[in-house]
Amino acid sequence: MQTIFDALSLGSLYALGALGIALIFGVMRLVNFAHGDVISFSIFALMWPSTDAMAVVFAGDLPWFLLIPFVLAVGAGLSVLSEIVVFRRFRRANPATMMIASFALGFVIRYFLLMLFSSRPKSISLLPALSQPVEIFGARIPLLQVITICATIAMLFALTAFLKRTRFGLEMRAAAENFTMARMLGVRANRVIMGAFALSGALAAAIGLILAAQTGTADIQMGAAVMLMAFIATVIGGLGSLPGAVLAGFLLGAASVVMQTVLPIDARPFRDAFVYGAVILVLIFRPQGLIAARGTKERV
Amino acid sequence: MKSLSKLTLALLGATALVTPALAQDDKIVVGFATAESGFMQAYDKPAQDAAMIRIAEINAAGGLLGKQIEVVNADTKTDRAEGAKAGLSVIDAGADMVVVSCDYDFGAPAALAAEGAGLPSFFLCAESIKAGIQGVGPNSFSASVLAAVQGATMAEWSYNKKEARTFYRLLDTWTEYNKGICDGFDWMLPRLEGASLVGEDTFKNEDASIAAQITRIKSLEKEPDAIMLCTMMPGAVSAIKQIRAAGINSMILNGSGVDGSYWLSAVPDLSNFYVPVQGSIYGDDPNADVTAFNAKYKEATGGDPSSQYVYPGYVMIDVWAKAVERAGTTETAAVVAELEKMTAEPTLFGPRSFSAELHHQNSADYRIVNIEAGKPAVIDSWTISEPIPVADLMK
Repeated sequence: MQTIFDALSLGSLYALGALGIALIFGVMRLVNFAHGDVISFSIFALMWPSTDAMAVVFAGDLPWFLLIPFVLAVGAGLSVLSEIVVFRRFRRANPATMMIASFALGFVIRYFLLMLFSSRPKSISLLPALSQPVEIFGARIPLLQVITICATIAMLFALTAFLKRTRFGLEMRAAAENFTMARMLGVRANRVIMGAFALSGALAAAIGLILAAQTGTADIQMGAAVMLMAFIATVIGGLGSLPGAVLAGFLLGAASVVMQTVLPIDARPFRDAFVYGAVILVLIFRPQGLIAARGTKERV
Repeated sequence: MKSLSKLTLALLGATALVTPALAQDDKIVVGFATAESGFMQAYDKPAQDAAMIRIAEINAAGGLLGKQIEVVNADTKTDRAEGAKAGLSVIDAGADMVVVSCDYDFGAPAALAAEGAGLPSFFLCAESIKAGIQGVGPNSFSASVLAAVQGATMAEWSYNKKEARTFYRLLDTWTEYNKGICDGFDWMLPRLEGASLVGEDTFKNEDASIAAQITRIKSLEKEPDAIMLCTMMPGAVSAIKQIRAAGINSMILNGSGVDGSYWLSAVPDLSNFYVPVQGSIYGDDPNADVTAFNAKYKEATGGDPSSQYVYPGYVMIDVWAKAVERAGTTETAAVVAELEKMTAEPTLFGPRSFSAELHHQNSADYRIVNIEAGKPAVIDSWTISEPIPVADLMK
């Protein structure tokens, strides 16, 4: 029982990350490597810049109903800003160039944080009420795990409804499938792309919130590990496919937890090697990903 | 053109030979090849500030061998290649002793440069056995205490003072330091009669969640008396927070890497948590001189020490200056020989010993800090019953 919750909660993190990457890839074929740094930035926005060991909290003490929208807005804002300032100029560039630009942007964000906050990880107590165990089906589970899983599922439903039921969502899906065609049919490219960036940024901020509440730590590299896993999830899910990204995110989380549970102690430090090994196997048998996006299939 | 460049080379060679000799005449130079930027800066700077305090004290008292100590700096930029350059740069500036970054990996390039130039080097606070003879060469030292001593100290202390019998070992495989703590724990455990290891697991510092590891602890029949947590920042906070959030209340034993109150806000009301430290930053050290030093540090830097890793910087200059004083020269072989003669040499932060086979501490007088309801306080002191043999440290 406990293991299932462990797997689901870790999977949630990866799924949210993968979704954020897949959204942007869908509309503009950009693998946004700055995504991880948006995660870190949205948490650091809760503190005043200082290089002291002790964090100087600024917005972190807000009640949750203000704190959560604030963090999400920061993530969305930074993401939209990066679109306007950087990626808009690469609209016609090939994907490799855009990918390099996203790496560069990530470095800029990270070094900006390094300058303001120093490399020392900062401790921050976010939503401390969540750090208590609760009893569910006979297992004592940290409340945060339950909330993470519920919040992720809620977000997935909301996003699905948004994409399927609203005009904006329809435009976004159309753009993801065939961007040129969508534009010809009257979809406004800039609006859709900005929307995708805003959503993706908000998802990054949500990951940041969960990570910070879970670990109590804000570190300028905190987004990197999740970003890597999320990127892998988008690839095995089928680049650009949103359901694929989510499914793969949950699978990766589950694989990681299961490996940690079943591997003998000597092999456990190499857990990730086993997880990546499984990823390679998946890609050998399904190179197009678990759920291939329609737009990316080769047309003969 | 060819002859011109040859001439320049010859001239350069001549100056390189002459400069250090000149520099040694009227002053003694300590070269800091440490990180002034990048992520190591946060670790190097505090210890370096403490070293500067000891240097200022010595200079105020009339200097070393009647000469003033001068300091030259070069920034390693938290980069290994830059580290080697920084080492060479302070050597060129006439350093008689080279101080290198806190961490073995980041300090070694500069230390090797010093070794190559036949100069003594000191790691600011590295706690791996490689930071010294084993990983650099016969003239290299570390100012801190081996990580293994921390693990061994916690195991023996909790066994004797807290009646801990069942232990769980949780290792973060990220660094040598972490493995060092657990190695020391592993060495001590079989020496404690009736103590047993009821389980073990590993995780990675950057793991977003250690839920699976926690589930393994919870599936034990009985909660272990103590969890030996071999990790460091930033993953340590995450692990501790998750262990407590899961409702595991076992005693948590740590290495010195988690010392400091700056992170306690992340785990409100943390209790039953124990850390070995070389001196207390909380103003309650049994040795009043440590508290006096804290005040001096605050005066010099504007802030309290953030962790015990400030102290090795002070100890480093202290033992080196004593060795120079005794040798009557800054000449490497003589200074190293004097350092190696030190057995339980008293310093502000406990006795220090060096020998011809180990330029590090394989035993130390540790203060035990207990965090109860989120408040840290020194509750005890402990020195392991026997130093960890070098052969066991090399395993």
